[in-house]
Amino acid sequence: MSESALDRTARALDLVPYLLEHQGISISELAMVFGVTEKQINEDLVLIHMCGLPGYTPLELIEMYYEDGYVTVSDPQSLNRPRKMTRNELTSILVALDLMKAGRAGEISEVIMNLESKLIKNLKVDNPYVVVSDLVANPMIADLEEAISKSRGLQITYLSAHRDAKTERRIFPSEIFTTNREVYVNAWCESSQADRTFRVDRILECSLLSDADSVAIKKPLAQTTHHEHNEAGIKLFVSQSARSFIEENRAIVSDVRADENGFAVDLENIESEWLIRTILGYGGAIRVIEPEQLVGAIATRATEIYAKYL
Amino acid sequence: MSDRKTERLLNLTLALLATKRYLKKSEILENVFGYEGSQESKERMFERDKDDLRSLGIEIEVGDLDPFFEDEPGYRIPQKSYELIVPELSPQELAILSLAANYWNDSVLAPSAQSGIRKLQSLGIPSSNDLDFRLKNRFENPMQTLEVISEAISRASSITFSYDSKERSLRHVQPYRVIFWNGFWYLMGFDTDRESMRLFKLSRFVSEVTLSKKKNEFKIPTDFDPLTYLPDRDIEITHTAQLAISKGSAVILRNRGKFLTSGEEVDFYEVTYSNEFQFLRELLWYGTNVEVIEPAELRMAIANLVKGVIA
Repeated sequence: MSESALDRTARALDLVPYLLEHQGISISELAMVFGVTEKQINEDLVLIHMCGLPGYTPLELIEMYYEDGYVTVSDPQSLNRPRKMTRNELTSILVALDLMKAGRAGEISEVIMNLESKLIKNLKVDNPYVVVSDLVANPMIADLEEAISKSRGLQITYLSAHRDAKTERRIFPSEIFTTNREVYVNAWCESSQADRTFRVDRILECSLLSDADSVAIKKPLAQTTHHEHNEAGIKLFVSQSARSFIEENRAIVSDVRADENGFAVDLENIESEWLIRTILGYGGAIRVIEPEQLVGAIATRATEIYAKYL
Repeated sequence: MSDRKTERLLNLTLALLATKRYLKKSEILENVFGYEGSQESKERMFERDKDDLRSLGIEIEVGDLDPFFEDEPGYRIPQKSYELIVPELSPQELAILSLAANYWNDSVLAPSAQSGIRKLQSLGIPSSNDLDFRLKNRFENPMQTLEVISEAISRASSITFSYDSKERSLRHVQPYRVIFWNGFWYLMGFDTDRESMRLFKLSRFVSEVTLSKKKNEFKIPTDFDPLTYLPDRDIEITHTAQLAISKGSAVILRNRGKFLTSGEEVDFYEVTYSNEFQFLRELLWYGTNVEVIEPAELRMAIANLVKGVIA
């Protein structure tokens, strides 16, 4: 793919001031920072090397050295300062800041807020993006992040929806993320000896484990997560009114085909108990097509509940 | 080809930045390296180059020269309008910005966020590295649509697209804001056919977005507040339900509810909720272990839902 001269010019204009602040940087690091190949960076440098001010004697050219894959700029001529940010650059950073702020409590959310207003005030930009988050700030997030950063385990008291019980566990967290309206943490769970996903708002208490205990509960290296393969496959019919089910469960949807009334949906192999309980909440707007026993199980469950309300 | 043009654009930028006074066109064509050919083709080249640099957001100022000279216009790039001027940033703030720039993984917003942060990193501010930020948003990856719409918003141009709601239809919308809400992207805008504000989920767009050629077609009211147009967000309004919970079950409901009394097989709790639809789903998760006692409408709603499943 050949790049436009304009894109290349933009990069070259940004390269020079960047080099000025990162003297002696390696070509490979530059390539990474600018998201292009090392070959491309080399070609850019050769080109920049030939540019300068009218006269174009050595005194007037941009002066730089690149030796053994390291670059130094000694005279940038008039390119000594970075260009101002474009609207797109600024707004995409602002949205990210908004997202980082969501769910965070305390001092750090104030730091981010001040930073945003500083940027907006000085750079005068109309931000077309608005981030709305219904995440409730949760101090547990900071503890989990600390555990991940320091590679430490945690002792948690957890309300398990699945077991419907309050449980004590030692976990080794690997990833914390938010999707839809909730914050989750992926972790190796010592007691179940498996990777598990926990909802952060259901962690009642947590405390950092010592280094020694953290090592002790770490996931064994040889362990590979084993997925049962579902031969039969789960097929659903999801009507228009329940399409949020598809959107909220993208991770387990393997195929969607739309027709006039709704969607034929194939699911990855998932636990049937989860599916039964979830589908009940959509009251007929989601129908199981296959497998047969799931259809029966849902009908039975619904009849039992209905009996309570007669 | 790309080499020579890039080289010329760089030389032009360097020269226009370096000069304190305006440079005459003839001076530029004569002295800036890269202008070749007949006078006419040189001039055409220069006109195109000016447009190109402007499209990169570089401001080229045109000014009158000294009146003693011929009335040929002069050009320069004022340093002030060219360079990034930001307020003082602390090392911690720069570190937060770096994290923000890396937030987008490989989505359409990633390239601009990263080129933005490179500029900030060229200011010579040290960055601290002791932040524990790990929380990531798993979201629907924003598509190209996002950029087109944000462009339309900044130009105040109306857009047209085919949208999949109850039925597919062509929508004509004045775009006001792009909203990221709980993991999904939305367009909020004034639907000119329906003559009201509407919210569109970007994942339900079924065509490309066409941008009107006209600019400044509408004005977003200065007191416009997108939050007032989001449905079901009145978290202030909460309802209360009385539930009978079987002994030893539904620990999560118990945990956030208020214990009332204890029966033989069940305990009675009072639980508040704001979104009925979500609450119903939560209650049904517990099957026969949870029964709604009050309010009657909620009992009815549950009964209707399960009846729907049986039917």
